[in-house]
Amino acid sequence: MNRSLQSLAWLLVFAALAMLPQVLTVKYYLHLSILALIWVIMAQGQNLIQGYTGYVSIVGAGFMGIGAYSSTLIGMHFQWPIWATMAAAPLVTALFALATGYPSLRVKGHYFAIVTLAFNLIIVIVLVNYKELTNGETGISNIPKPWGGSRDAYFYLVLMLAAAMTALAALIARSRVGEILLAIRQNEDLVGSIGIAAWKYKLFAFVISAMYAGLAGALYAHFQSFINPEIFGVAQSLDAILAVILGGSGTIAGPVIGAFLVVFLPEMLRFADSFRLILYGLILVLATIFMPIGIVGVCKALIGRFSRKEAAS
Amino acid sequence: MAETILRVEMLVKNFGGVKAVRDLSFEVSAGEILGLIGPNGSGKSTTVNVLAGLIPPTSGSIRLGPHSIENLPETERVAKGLARTFQTARVFPEFSVRRHVTMGCHTIRRSNPFASVLPLGFSSREDAETARHVDDVLQLCSLAQIADRPVGSISSAQQRFLMIATALASKPRILLVDEPAAGLVEHERQSLAELIRGIRQRGIAVVIIEHHMALIMALCDRIVVLNFGSKIAEGSPAEIRANPAVIDAYLGEAA
Repeated sequence: MNRSLQSLAWLLVFAALAMLPQVLTVKYYLHLSILALIWVIMAQGQNLIQGYTGYVSIVGAGFMGIGAYSSTLIGMHFQWPIWATMAAAPLVTALFALATGYPSLRVKGHYFAIVTLAFNLIIVIVLVNYKELTNGETGISNIPKPWGGSRDAYFYLVLMLAAAMTALAALIARSRVGEILLAIRQNEDLVGSIGIAAWKYKLFAFVISAMYAGLAGALYAHFQSFINPEIFGVAQSLDAILAVILGGSGTIAGPVIGAFLVVFLPEMLRFADSFRLILYGLILVLATIFMPIGIVGVCKALIGRFSRKEAAS
Repeated sequence: MAETILRVEMLVKNFGGVKAVRDLSFEVSAGEILGLIGPNGSGKSTTVNVLAGLIPPTSGSIRLGPHSIENLPETERVAKGLARTFQTARVFPEFSVRRHVTMGCHTIRRSNPFASVLPLGFSSREDAETARHVDDVLQLCSLAQIADRPVGSISSAQQRFLMIATALASKPRILLVDEPAAGLVEHERQSLAELIRGIRQRGIAVVIIEHHMALIMALCDRIVVLNFGSKIAEGSPAEIRANPAVIDAYLGEAA
């Protein structure tokens, strides 16, 4: 696909999404759509470190929690307006990511995954036990919503932000930084031997992905109006990883598709009743085994095959 | 007398109790090809890895032109003009050959990669310069015909030339090549020898580790022989071939 066709496709997707509040008669689906768009931001961030750089981070939800709690707490204690706390959340998250990224990125592969998993566990433990600040497992409720809680307005806010963060991810991916991240994924030793200090770019990807998660967390908190530590556990981090794999790692469209899948698929499976989560797990396992390149990867391969046939005939 | 590019003095590398490199000293000049030979385990690759900054030396000094580089990290040595290739194929298989070589230009590009995130077009002149330089390197390394192929789809011999091309893209003053002929057949070895002579002609110093003796003897201006981490001989190919210590340790009687 050439550039202009791609831009057109993105524009159509954006237009279709923008019409959702008018089209959806069941308001619950609008609720899910907002969650899915928040997850688009989350997954785009996860894709930068996991898909492009090849470092599977399991601290995504932990960073989301830091964003959610910092936006909420700054608003509670300093009476900042919601906009200011939402803007501050990714910055606070970035500080945590800088502190945790430097030690974690010294190790590779499974070790990196395990170190980041440990960080996620620590974040949850702190959120549960630092009761004076976080109210512990009970969580914090009555978090203020903007526009008097208008769901439609919030939908458009999240849609605009998801589009902007997707565009930013595309800019990073197409830049020389994105090229270096892809090179790190393919052969990190060679990256060093051609004079590129890989750690700078890995840390950049890690911190940017954390900022995406922090923003997603803040948007989540002011949408649901309630947060507790459990929401930001390892299970959610795994959902972010799955969103990237299912959609297609190292692509820009992949996380968008993956985010909608991880939010809507469990709902679509409600007919299975108590087997719902088992079925969900089964679908994920099968998809990961038989479709490791994700939906976007499969589509690309199909388009490639189709256009080759056309060229041959 | 050509300018001395690399000066190694009393280099020592110990791994625990194992003395991998002992008091090694040698020099390489611009436009000179220096062979580094010796039996397996004699410390050749360790020497290259210490020179390139992949592992720190236990003691000794390494000078690249006027700079002391033994305390610099690997990446800064590349910026100072030292490039290397690896014994085994290390490539970015998903990139095209051209993009792969362009990656090697990192240290000679003035613009910051982070500035390229916002496409404001500031670096377009530099991009054109880089593209010309990459074309030149591709031509030199006989890769121009396959420039747009994905690296994963070219032959392992072509990948060896690609590794050299990527190292050359940084405009080095000295190039360290670790067993470049491994797995090559005769006519590919001939092209390799031609390429390395072409690199010398550009005034680049070359240090080559190789087990293929005919290639080493035909190519090198000077040879350093290592055994158990120590230098046991140094001289022209003819001198090395006649040296009894070298024959005893490495070449054997038939050579």
